[in-house]
Amino acid sequence: MLTYVVRRVLSTVPLLIGAMYLVHVGVSATSDPLASLRLCLPRCQEGYDRIVEIYELDQSIWVRPFAWFDDALRGDFGKSEAIGESVASVLVERGLNTAMVAIPAFLVSALLAVFLSVYSSRRQYSKTDYALTGFSFLGLALPTFFVGLVLQVFWGVWFPKWTGFKPFYTGSMRTESPLELLQSITLPVLTLVIVSVAAESRFGRANMLEIISSDYVRTARAKGLSERQVIWKHALRNAMIPLVTLWALDFAALLGGSVITETIFSWPGLGPAFVIALTKPDLDLVMGITILTALIAIIFNLIADLLYGWLDPRIRLD
Amino acid sequence: MTDLVEVNLREGLGKESLSLGRLALRRFFRHRPAIVSLFLLVLMILAFFFAGRLSNYTFDAVDVTKRLESPSLLHPFGTDEIGRDLFVRTMLGGQYSVRVALQVALLATAIGTILGAIAGYFGRWVDTAISQVINLILIVPALIVLAVFAQRFGGSPVGLALVLSGLLWTRIARVVRGVVMQYKEQEFVLAAKAVGAKPVRIVMRHILPNVVGSVLVEITLLLGTAIVLESTLSFLGLGVQPPIPTLGNLIQQSKGAIDDAPLRVLLPGFFVVFFVLFINFLGDGLRDALDPRSKRQ
Repeated sequence: MLTYVVRRVLSTVPLLIGAMYLVHVGVSATSDPLASLRLCLPRCQEGYDRIVEIYELDQSIWVRPFAWFDDALRGDFGKSEAIGESVASVLVERGLNTAMVAIPAFLVSALLAVFLSVYSSRRQYSKTDYALTGFSFLGLALPTFFVGLVLQVFWGVWFPKWTGFKPFYTGSMRTESPLELLQSITLPVLTLVIVSVAAESRFGRANMLEIISSDYVRTARAKGLSERQVIWKHALRNAMIPLVTLWALDFAALLGGSVITETIFSWPGLGPAFVIALTKPDLDLVMGITILTALIAIIFNLIADLLYGWLDPRIRLD
Repeated sequence: MTDLVEVNLREGLGKESLSLGRLALRRFFRHRPAIVSLFLLVLMILAFFFAGRLSNYTFDAVDVTKRLESPSLLHPFGTDEIGRDLFVRTMLGGQYSVRVALQVALLATAIGTILGAIAGYFGRWVDTAISQVINLILIVPALIVLAVFAQRFGGSPVGLALVLSGLLWTRIARVVRGVVMQYKEQEFVLAAKAVGAKPVRIVMRHILPNVVGSVLVEITLLLGTAIVLESTLSFLGLGVQPPIPTLGNLIQQSKGAIDDAPLRVLLPGFFVVFFVLFINFLGDGLRDALDPRSKRQ
């Protein structure tokens, strides 16, 4: 078990290094942090030299990433020029804000997906099942930004116009009281739930249908177990195994910051920070966010594989 | 002898036998949502390509006396901030979006099929190398690749299609690799090898025909993904740049006015949503039709 974890982690290291190297080279090749300074050159020689020193612009583009690796291994991820703080503190602050939306969104969509897939697989081809299938098809077709915009215009403009009452915040984060926190996370969370629950419940329904018609579920029924035990204990546990991967991927993506949703609702999480970093471009911040999201993805994939072994003892991890 | 034919006919055995392809086609035509979706999809694409010509306006004709008009007979979708006709712009935008999606589907399928087949057939270090490239593409955030390339290719539709194909071929490659690996050890491939067929011929003639079904389904998924990605990127300002309209940058340009004129944002959005919805139903129908174990008759 421990050797498996160590081997898995070690095998991703070269990939991670390769990816970080390419990101560094790619971003520096297409950006010029000196563009504005070059215009005023003799006057602002000092600032020019400072930027050259910070980004080591006197060196070849292929060599520059190594300095970043060197610093990163010492725990120094540099300073974000765009935000004016150290990358580490930006990541912590923004990461916590993202988690405030990501964790509730994940929990709600996962629970909803389980209930919907159990419900529609037990009543396959009923009217409710057809309706849910239709909704999930619609959900799969909805681009995130469209859901966000529609929710924003509905709760921010139309609903207050009709009722004179605005229940949710549509473009700000307020955390003074629990109620305000709830009011500000509701719409971003709802957006994320809508776009992820469709795929999860579709997948869950298909798994559940397959499991329900399998022999051991018939055995469980034949030996007189209650329907609740058959479904929730025997069938669900096995139907969830393939879902675990999807959940791990979804949760990792959510924790890495959802660029679209957070941008639309002006949520100060990792997503908008990433857009700022890319448009400036702020190389250290790009690298910081990239390595954070990559690590989250790797860790959650590992957790998914370990959960596999726990949910289904037949799967051997080695 | 005639008796036997009669008996066969009576039991329905003498009927012309159906090939797998015919059976699949028949199953597909009985999948009602897929047929309706295919029809609406064709209608939508025809509208994107030809409906703009019915209007008296062009997509870039500015008329500042008619700014921000509501929908009317002359301007079915209204006009934008500088008085351009939004119907023509939306249709042309749809045309560019669909073109990008089709180019991506074509190119990504070609790359994915070729690399997937090579990886699956030759195995060993070739497979390792291609699989590592796939993992690398999956680990680098797509947004970085797109932001980097958007500056290089200047945000043209073809440039965007190239970049998106460079990111989206991995799924098809995995599917093809899996199927090729599954078939390459089977007897008919061994037989082909025994009579001296070269790898290219074995893969093209004997193995790839088995992938067509799964790849067709993947292509529909790819079309949907491409059109959503195109609109999302253009929405963030990283995709196709104005003056060329696409469904995504039409939304981006009018999202500031969503409070006053929500229709201008929602209309192009609905085209994206319905395009993807129909494509998904089509893919679902194809999946059912091409699955030989399918129960649908």
